[in-house]
Amino acid sequence: MKVLDIALKDMLRSFRSGFALVMMFVVPLLITGIIYSAFGGLGGDGGFDLPVTRVQVVNLDQPGPQFSFSFGQMLVGFLQDERLAELLQVTEAADEANARAAVDSQDAGVAVIIPPDFTTAALAPEGRASITLYQDPTLTLGPGIVKGIVSQFVDGFAGTRIASGVVADQLGQRGVAIDASLMQEVAMQYGAWAEALGRSRGEGAHPALDIQPPPSKTEPVSQGAGMMGPIMAGMVIFFAFFTGASTAETIIREDEVGTLARLFTTPTPRAVILGGKFAAGFITLIVQVVVLMLASAVIFRIRWGEPLSVALVALGLVVAAVGFGLFIMSFLKSTRQAGPVMGTVLTLSGMVGGLFTTGFQNLPAAYDTINLLTPHGWVLRGWKLVMAGGGVGDVLLPVLVTLGMGIIFFAVGALVFRRRFA
Amino acid sequence: MHKNFGDVYAVQGVNFDVQAGEIFSLLGPNGAGKSTIISMLACLLEPTQGDALVMGHSILRDPMAVKAAIGVIPQDIALYEDLSARENLNFWGKMYGLRGAALRQRVDEVLGVIGLAERQKGRVGKFSGGMKRRLNIGIALLHKPQVIIMDEPTVGIDPQSRRNILDNVKELNQQGMTVLYTTHYMEEAQELSDNIAIMDQGKIIAHGAHDELVKIVGELDRIDLTINAEAGRVLERWQATEGVHQVSAENGQLTLLVDDSNVVLPRLFESASRAGVRITSVEIQEPNLEAVFLHLTGRALRD
Repeated sequence: MKVLDIALKDMLRSFRSGFALVMMFVVPLLITGIIYSAFGGLGGDGGFDLPVTRVQVVNLDQPGPQFSFSFGQMLVGFLQDERLAELLQVTEAADEANARAAVDSQDAGVAVIIPPDFTTAALAPEGRASITLYQDPTLTLGPGIVKGIVSQFVDGFAGTRIASGVVADQLGQRGVAIDASLMQEVAMQYGAWAEALGRSRGEGAHPALDIQPPPSKTEPVSQGAGMMGPIMAGMVIFFAFFTGASTAETIIREDEVGTLARLFTTPTPRAVILGGKFAAGFITLIVQVVVLMLASAVIFRIRWGEPLSVALVALGLVVAAVGFGLFIMSFLKSTRQAGPVMGTVLTLSGMVGGLFTTGFQNLPAAYDTINLLTPHGWVLRGWKLVMAGGGVGDVLLPVLVTLGMGIIFFAVGALVFRRRFA
Repeated sequence: MHKNFGDVYAVQGVNFDVQAGEIFSLLGPNGAGKSTIISMLACLLEPTQGDALVMGHSILRDPMAVKAAIGVIPQDIALYEDLSARENLNFWGKMYGLRGAALRQRVDEVLGVIGLAERQKGRVGKFSGGMKRRLNIGIALLHKPQVIIMDEPTVGIDPQSRRNILDNVKELNQQGMTVLYTTHYMEEAQELSDNIAIMDQGKIIAHGAHDELVKIVGELDRIDLTINAEAGRVLERWQATEGVHQVSAENGQLTLLVDDSNVVLPRLFESASRAGVRITSVEIQEPNLEAVFLHLTGRALRD
């Protein structure tokens, strides 16, 4: 009962502290909210709305009379396809100078300048032509998208040239005469095929590939929510570890102000006193994690995953945060040391654990391995598995490792404190 | 009891009895070992050697029973400043094993005793120093202890608050509590105590009632003088002056134990004049505990 009295006393003091409340709840939601807002995710289904990029396209392509088509015009048509309307707002400029001027005045993000000999060079065996992308240097995402689309289209011409060459070679070996119209027909058919392939790849499909995700009981998450989830998870983990260290710091603070010694003069066993303080940490963290998860589910529409798996990962996080915080504080002598040490250790361990790069894709595999040197990395892995639809079996390993690390940290910290106050 | 911290012998063979219902003072300068003894009796420190019985319970073998029998008032205020007075008392009452209606009733009583009933819901952080001290004392009274231990409770406080604390000590004693009081103020020990143990450098150098202790210095008067020069210029002369038993110099003040201040004082003035030294202030005191300490240690009681 006294354990609970001490725990409730500490929790009352924590939840009365404006600073503690801000650090536990407001800051993690605020940081995530800023990132969420930066990607325009305040509307729709909670996913991301990428900003529309304004594009000025100048088609200077003038295929010779021997050509019945224009690759330049095909590219313009491709860019103006209604399926790209949510990403690109394409306007044909009168000339190159006007297009460049629009970018300079930030009326457009990118100017796509198709050279005069584009079609001719595309079909000539040794032909070379380059499309110029003139972009606003303050933008990265929109021009990147345009570059990707144009590159994909241009890559098709290499295929066209290869296809034409192969057809010419094969027919020549069989003694069939090849004329320009036949070559154009080959080029057109290949071009149409490449264009269709490009569109289907843009929709996530490929004629030669059938991608099947593992069976999942959860609905697939939207792309936006899929990105925000790990970001919020990183914030929950980081600030949970901060709370774990802060609650452990109260032991040092009470020692400094004399209330800990006074507690030791009461007929309350030291194990009960320290146990009460540990219990305060556990309960406070449970409240924090639950509130953050519920709040982020409502505000950012994050779907955390299957409840039992979520609860297990959260339990691992709580144990690890309490243990890690106790471990750090047990080696400090005063609250003056605690501030800078806590900040440094938590930031470094968070960085090593990968909490600040959750939004990045395709990081090196070695980085994933480094993350697992910390309990943070294991908790994050557990969260990611849960958000991807993982069940209890999938998260069991991360949860067990997290619990194990937390218990070891806790045991060492508790032992150091017990010796200190023996 | 003995207590050493490495090569530092904080308490060396201290041995004393405190009778039930009395006020017992440990009197000595800072560093004499008073707080170390208090810490051992409160079961915060284990003696290196020896034991103590508090209300019949050993501090080594039965510390929980000792803690239940004593109320400790620490020298520094030890309160939760972000809680209210009532919340503090509620919490500490639970630590002393009080619950439910008994706890509520006792908290009400203590709030009345310490005069904080009107401010019970106020945050302790906003209290004056005197109010905090009263609450600090009140916490130790919650479980109606048989023994109250007060460790230099009047250090650094204003005279009025000090007066209040001394009056509180007497009231508690009149209610039947045994009080163990540590101080380096002679007048407090003199006013409050039934028995006094004078400590210096970890040892008890004298022990008894006030009147018995004063007899150690006999009828010697104490004279405190300040001069306008270094003490060394008159120290040897005065030590050799007839009627002077002891001379000590500390922080620009000279303290002498003399047979009769009326007879010796003119000799001191004449001696100082010959040395070209001017006496700027004189204070004469009848035999008291400070004189006893000076006599036994050669040093003044206060730093």
